[in-house]
Amino acid sequence: MEALKLDHVSKRFGGLHVLEDITLSVEEGERVVLIGPNGAGKTTTFNLINGQLPVSSGRIFLFGEDVTRLPVHTRAHRGIARSFQISSIYPNLTVLDNAILTAHGLRRSRFGVLRSVTAYPELMEKVQTALDHAGLWEERHEFVKNLAYGEQRRLEIALTLAGDPKLLLLDEPSCGLTRGECGDMIHVINTLPRGITTIVVAHDMDVIFGVAERIIVLFYGKLLADGDPATIQADRQVREIYMGVEEGTERARAF
Amino acid sequence: MSMFFTNLVNGLAMGMVYFLTAAGMSIVMGVMGISNLAHGALYMVSAYVGWQVFRGFHWPFTVAVIAGGVAGGLLGLFIERVFLRRLYKQPNEQVLLTYGFVYIFTNACIWIWKGWPRLPFTAAALKPVMIGGLRFASSRFLLIALGALSAVALWYLQDRTRLGARVRAGMDDKEMAQGMGVNMEMVSMIVFFIASFVAGLSGVLGAQVMGINAEAGNTILLQALVVVIIGGVGSIQGALLGGLMIGLLDTFGKVLFPQLAMFTIYLAMVIVLVVRPQGLLGRRG
Amino acid sequence: MNENAKRARPNVMPWAWRLLPVVLAVALLVVMPGFLPEFLQRMMSKFLIFAIFSISYNIVAAYTGLISLGQAAYFGVGGYTVGVLMAHYGINSLWVTALAGVTLGSLAAAVVGPIVLRVSGMYFLILTFAIGRLGYSLTWNLPFFNVPQGIQGIAGLPRPVTGIPGFQFTEFSFYFLVLVFFAIAMFLQYRLSRSPFGHSLEGIREGETRMEALGYNVWLHKYLSYVIAGAFAALAGVLYVYMNRFIEPADFDIMRSFYPMAMVIIGGPATLWGPAVGAAAIVFVEYFSSILVPARWPLILGSLFVLTIMFARKGLAVYAADLWSKAGAKLWKR
Repeated sequence: MEALKLDHVSKRFGGLHVLEDITLSVEEGERVVLIGPNGAGKTTTFNLINGQLPVSSGRIFLFGEDVTRLPVHTRAHRGIARSFQISSIYPNLTVLDNAILTAHGLRRSRFGVLRSVTAYPELMEKVQTALDHAGLWEERHEFVKNLAYGEQRRLEIALTLAGDPKLLLLDEPSCGLTRGECGDMIHVINTLPRGITTIVVAHDMDVIFGVAERIIVLFYGKLLADGDPATIQADRQVREIYMGVEEGTERARAF
Repeated sequence: MSMFFTNLVNGLAMGMVYFLTAAGMSIVMGVMGISNLAHGALYMVSAYVGWQVFRGFHWPFTVAVIAGGVAGGLLGLFIERVFLRRLYKQPNEQVLLTYGFVYIFTNACIWIWKGWPRLPFTAAALKPVMIGGLRFASSRFLLIALGALSAVALWYLQDRTRLGARVRAGMDDKEMAQGMGVNMEMVSMIVFFIASFVAGLSGVLGAQVMGINAEAGNTILLQALVVVIIGGVGSIQGALLGGLMIGLLDTFGKVLFPQLAMFTIYLAMVIVLVVRPQGLLGRRG
Repeated sequence: MNENAKRARPNVMPWAWRLLPVVLAVALLVVMPGFLPEFLQRMMSKFLIFAIFSISYNIVAAYTGLISLGQAAYFGVGGYTVGVLMAHYGINSLWVTALAGVTLGSLAAAVVGPIVLRVSGMYFLILTFAIGRLGYSLTWNLPFFNVPQGIQGIAGLPRPVTGIPGFQFTEFSFYFLVLVFFAIAMFLQYRLSRSPFGHSLEGIREGETRMEALGYNVWLHKYLSYVIAGAFAALAGVLYVYMNRFIEPADFDIMRSFYPMAMVIIGGPATLWGPAVGAAAIVFVEYFSSILVPARWPLILGSLFVLTIMFARKGLAVYAADLWSKAGAKLWKR
């Protein structure tokens, strides 16, 4: 089953072409890493997939369904979960509050006015599990702004996973983490249930090769290369972009 | 026919007053992102100060106008430096805070000037002018002339000077502009002062046409908001266009359909906000 | 499992100490008024009515983040509905007029909602304010809303009739009517703030983008919040007309809209007791300043307001609660 399909998707801002004619498809359960130099359009791609930006042309399919016109929240209910490059957890709310908001997002209970937020035992259990995984249950009454950045990222990822998503979009999950924390992050991603389709945007080589079963390379809005890690590493054009290898010679320039 | 011309001149004069008040507010709002609801109150205080200078101290009218401008400018600067500066990027708090000042300034004016419902304030030195057999108060023409002059000056400042460029840079990203060596503190101060100064001028001049009363803080605020919204936030040209339109609509409206004049103007504002929030000539969407 | 303490540190004091302020408040509200002179009873009514009005602002602005300068529009709709029913149609029944007032107020908010929600931030503020002004100019101009002819507004309204034979409202019994409505309003606010929906409003205030990504239909939540707030404002308007027996166009105006705003800010935004504390503070300070320094009240109110925004952002209720907790912790340290 195709989890995600982009069909000739383009995105323009006025005269600026951010993405041009992207066509790709991702099978259920694949682990894909999306790479490319800054400005290549990686975050924009995520924004189009989850609906925060409308496509200028083309169509997007989620598990076979055309979601091109669907709003963000509806797509969330179709199984997309996303983390953001810059921490999007609410700093002025507590860890617990953030977790509770995540828990109710996909339930009818989000419209509930009569019961207290804590009177939903199954949801509160999920919350506890997620916070335990992130190692933040003890700190649940802390305001997020008082947490270390690494803890905030951990929390964000844990909450993104908490909703049992079918398609997971992780935008630079290791951004700002220490080496050790980064290793933990890679481990978390690799131990995700196989049913979850995962697309990660990454810059860090450790993350890219630690996680990827398939790498997609974007370059100035165009799809440049798409294949397994070994193929991509050997690909001439990719090497040129990342390491400035000139034709005929093997001199590498640091990029 | 003479009615038409009288109303036309009056409408244009009113329009200029609206323009002058709205211009400052529009720039500060659109370009600095600051919502200053006390702008109308600045107008009011300046009008009283001008009155005091002219009628109280019996100094020349020109001095009164400048005094009004300076009073407005200083007061605006005070609000910006002491209060608004600490509320950077908190638009809700800015709005609330500045509206609190409306209360304070309005009551202060009542206190100092004993809350006379309407102070008559026509500079007798300005003699009426005769054109084509019709008599006009020369203040109207003065207003129109000054308004046009200010429009040109402000437009020049905004679009053709480095100060204007710096302001526009700072609107998008304060840190970035600072990083490029623009002293945003200074720029903020200057812009806010100019905007408030112009509001002050319009206070003294506007009083020629409308008199002064302690409700001006609110009514002028409303009128300025209407003009800013219709003309478009962040644009001098928009404020001019909007101001003249509203001035004419208001004047002719009072004559032709007095019951509904108020209503039509607010309705126009609502429609613009809903259909084209950036106004007729606005910069920001 | 399940502590649901929401503050950063759970309280360690005995529940009796935490309960004490509530007991005092109840005593103050229920028992004391019986011993007060009539004009003070009326002031208590006024305070509670404005507390309800402030809850309206609390919901839409402090919880949801939609700063509305036009809640008075629904206050006006509620009040004028009662006024019109009584003056033009002779309907004096408490039940009918109150229900009609709140319903029409909510309907007005439901109709206006999609219009004002098309814009956000500063434009939303200005638009809500403009809507209030529209209401003002309508009621100012149309003769239907000015009874008897020649004055602005509707005057000479009777007290509402309950249908209980022989029962007429006195200042005191009217106060209890208001108290009951206040209790209901507080209860609803309480339930709302603890509910998932209420939490979602705070999430929306903190950041809409993430909420959408989590699956919340942000527009719908904002709309519901706006309508609910409109209902509370309308209720306040209804009670206000019962109390004053008079309503005027100025009741739609921004000056009216400022009061609940100031009350919530001063009392404590997005807290349960903030609106009531702020309302009490303002109504009573207004009373005292009218005795001591008449005509300086707006200056005092404005200054209080500015000072609160600059230095006491969390509001009186929160600082008072913190002080109380600290006092309790000290007392119970042994």
